[in-house]
Amino acid sequence: MSSTEVFKRLQTSEQGLSEQEVKVRLKTHGYNELPTQTLTWLQVLARQFKNPIFVILIACAVVAGLYSEPKQSVIILSMIALSIILGFYNEYKAEKIVIDLRRNVSIKAVVTRDGKPSEIDSRLLVPGDLVSVYVGDIVPADLRVVECKYLQANEAVLTGESFPIEKTSEGLNLQNPTPHQLMNYQFMGTVVVNGSGKGVVVSTGKNTEFGAISKTLARTHPETEFQKGVRQYGNMLLTLTAALAVGIFGLNAIIGRSLIDALLFALAVAIGLVPELMPAIVTISLSQGARRMAKLRVVVKRLVSIEDFGNMDVLCTDKTGTLTEGRIVLNDCASIHGKEDPLVLTYSLLCNAAVVGEKISGNPMDVAIWQHAIEKGAKEDARNYTKVDEIPFDYQRRMMSVVVRNNGEHTLITKGAPESVLSNCTYVEMESRKEPIDTTLHLSINDKFLNLSHLGYRVIAVAYKDVDTKTAYSAEDESDLTLLGFLTFTDPPKKDVTSALANLNEMGVNTKVLTGDNELVARKICDDLNVPVKRVIGGSELTQMSSTEIKAAVEETTIFARITPEQKLDIIKALKANGHVVGFMGDGVNDAPALYEADVGISVDTAVDVSKDAADIVLLDKDLLVLANGITEGRKIFGNTTKYILMGTSSNFGNMFSAAAASIFLPFLPMLPMQILFMNLLYDVANITLPTDNVDEEYTKWPKRWDISFVRKYTLFFGPFSSLYDFLTFGIMLFIFGTFAAANLSPTSPEFLKFASLFQSGWFVESFWTEVLVMFVIRTRRIPFLTSRPGKWLTVLTLSCIAFGTVLPFTILGDFLGFTALPAEYWILLVLMVATYLLLVDAGKVFFYKICKF
Amino acid sequence: MIMLNLDLFAWWAVTISGGIVFLILVSIYLYTNSRVVRGESNKSTAGTRLGKDFIFVWVLIGLLVFYIISVNIGSSMVFAAGNLIVEVMLIAYLIRNRREKSAETVRPRSQ
Repeated sequence: MSSTEVFKRLQTSEQGLSEQEVKVRLKTHGYNELPTQTLTWLQVLARQFKNPIFVILIACAVVAGLYSEPKQSVIILSMIALSIILGFYNEYKAEKIVIDLRRNVSIKAVVTRDGKPSEIDSRLLVPGDLVSVYVGDIVPADLRVVECKYLQANEAVLTGESFPIEKTSEGLNLQNPTPHQLMNYQFMGTVVVNGSGKGVVVSTGKNTEFGAISKTLARTHPETEFQKGVRQYGNMLLTLTAALAVGIFGLNAIIGRSLIDALLFALAVAIGLVPELMPAIVTISLSQGARRMAKLRVVVKRLVSIEDFGNMDVLCTDKTGTLTEGRIVLNDCASIHGKEDPLVLTYSLLCNAAVVGEKISGNPMDVAIWQHAIEKGAKEDARNYTKVDEIPFDYQRRMMSVVVRNNGEHTLITKGAPESVLSNCTYVEMESRKEPIDTTLHLSINDKFLNLSHLGYRVIAVAYKDVDTKTAYSAEDESDLTLLGFLTFTDPPKKDVTSALANLNEMGVNTKVLTGDNELVARKICDDLNVPVKRVIGGSELTQMSSTEIKAAVEETTIFARITPEQKLDIIKALKANGHVVGFMGDGVNDAPALYEADVGISVDTAVDVSKDAADIVLLDKDLLVLANGITEGRKIFGNTTKYILMGTSSNFGNMFSAAAASIFLPFLPMLPMQILFMNLLYDVANITLPTDNVDEEYTKWPKRWDISFVRKYTLFFGPFSSLYDFLTFGIMLFIFGTFAAANLSPTSPEFLKFASLFQSGWFVESFWTEVLVMFVIRTRRIPFLTSRPGKWLTVLTLSCIAFGTVLPFTILGDFLGFTALPAEYWILLVLMVATYLLLVDAGKVFFYKICKF
Repeated sequence: MIMLNLDLFAWWAVTISGGIVFLILVSIYLYTNSRVVRGESNKSTAGTRLGKDFIFVWVLIGLLVFYIISVNIGSSMVFAAGNLIVEVMLIAYLIRNRREKSAETVRPRSQ
């Protein structure tokens, strides 16, 4: 089918649709968006049941119901329900937050309607719309290509083919074609990697090829440092839990306890060790952090990246648009002697890929040329020329060309990187004379360009030659050119960047500049921004290096100049292999792989679509000062997550270890399985507000790393403190309150049960108090309450839970759970014991942090 | 209340003493490990700091004596008095340490 037939079939034209027609079609076809790929409430609910702990708990409930006490089964089931409701509520809320935040990052499309090109939100595209695509664009809908120039697309997202596919506007005669064979189509979600083109929208939203298979698409990001840490932590817990559960069951079975009781007790102890609410705590922390960051106009697209954002210790950044204004201004358009030459401006206006509509969009330098021409009133000069053909820019040639007609003469105008243009020039225009370029002149011109670059200018050379009339022109025609002059651009550094980088440096984040620009420009910008440059490595030098040499070089290098997207990737991989948490900030199409590979990919809302898509975090304003705020936020979240883990593993482990040890020598179980589970639940409820806790200022001053050996040492050190106080309580309950007498009684006698219940109540209250109150000591390295105040919600909820746990033995619920009222004397001893425990843990904390740094 | 069941008491005393011994061993392990990692070879300084940093371990041993005696005689009064003494010792130790800590310099920036 020819292009004309395509227009006819879709009832559109080269002028595009009219606005009225668009409204009608929008009603018929709906918005160009895919059905939400986020989870439905049912899926979030179903995900709660995937937790193996719940499977174990359900098994426990069944076993208890069938062979032991049915009320134990009821309690276990209610706890499962509560945990599931808590987990579901928080995860669903977090999902909603991410959806809302993502809406802030829109993908744009250049569409021609009523004959005028304009940039719109790609959601508003309808079948029949005429869309223009350029390098770096994500194709916004399924398009039938009607016009193209060196158009190539990466369709890996659809076909898995990693090499670019060349596109054509010609009709193809294929029987049952696959997307791969449809070279005159561009598919939604694919990326334009070369050239430019126009296409008519054939289908939108869920009717596109991408929409059809989007359900099966799952782009997996590399595992972040935080995810690795959580996985290691999970493995550590699994080993501990399995060892303890098997050991307890074996020992209890050997000493002659009923197998069912031994099994239930072993499982309860194992479950008591597992922080069931950890996923919920992490999700709440992350979603609250994302919400706070949204207020700073920072959109978090991938929640899990927030913690790595905080722990990032190296920030690799692209130069243009991130360190600099990104609003390039044309400084000068001059002949090779440096005299202002209007023809240079006219030619650069003609050899220009900017889209001029209501607003000018496209390559920033092309836009700057247009803006300059409009300001100078020079755009009229270009009206005498008619564009005949265009050879678009690509990264290999680093230049673009157009062929124009003026008074019947055809002229090829080339504009691009000075070294590339100069190498294709044989003449230079010197005061309206053409001089051949010999080696001396070549070196002198090159020096001139270098000097300008050294001053921080971006230089673009303009050359031309008269050409014969042809139907099509190619890159091969870009030879024997005459150098006309050059354009200089400045992209001034952003005003706030110097303080933002100094801030990051203070926070322990080293900045490295990764740029496709030359060394001189990059060095000048670093000087302007007060970034000390230790070493500069060029792309060609990097190519010669082995991976070991790259790993060593990345540590001491500040600027990587003239590097390719692949080399950006190598640098990030090397930094990650060296143990750094690496952030990458970029906004170009060549930044996308690096954004994807980095632990934290940061982009800006004005970036090309493919970069925004690959990024984890998108800054809605190009204000780097918000980076420091985001990092602090990430560190706070990491701090609160770490608190939960450290408390959970240390005090839980101590309690469960005591339960295991006591079960061997006590005539009764130190705590019933349902009591252990209830305590675990109450403890988790007390922790639910932990994400709102204050984090000490010094904690956020430096990047932290997830260190599983630190968690292990912490558990090993603080676990025994908790156990010691448990054993002490056992002694008090046995020998001061006389429950040891049960040893001489029949296990079925009421006295035995009374003694057992008193013992269990005493230990329940003591372990709950110590487990919960130690949070106030562990949450800070300072003096609890006096120099570091906990969050108000944490304090209120924790103390409420303590109050609840204290009165529980006196209530009907306590009776139901098998508790009994405790004597007044016990409470005096408890207060004294808990006071010593907290002081001892605090003293231990001072000692521990002296020898174990984190 | 007088201790009647020697077997159970022996179990308990062994467990609580074992817990303290374990904690002391962990402290020694962590302490020596941190010295090796930081490459501190000055034995006399390390020895002084070792003794100084282990005050809280001596507190633990003191506690053990109080606990075993008070629990053995079944006296909540002795238990409470012992705890109060230990609490005073711990507060003194903490105040001393916090002062030392506040004098520490800010961690230098690694490049």
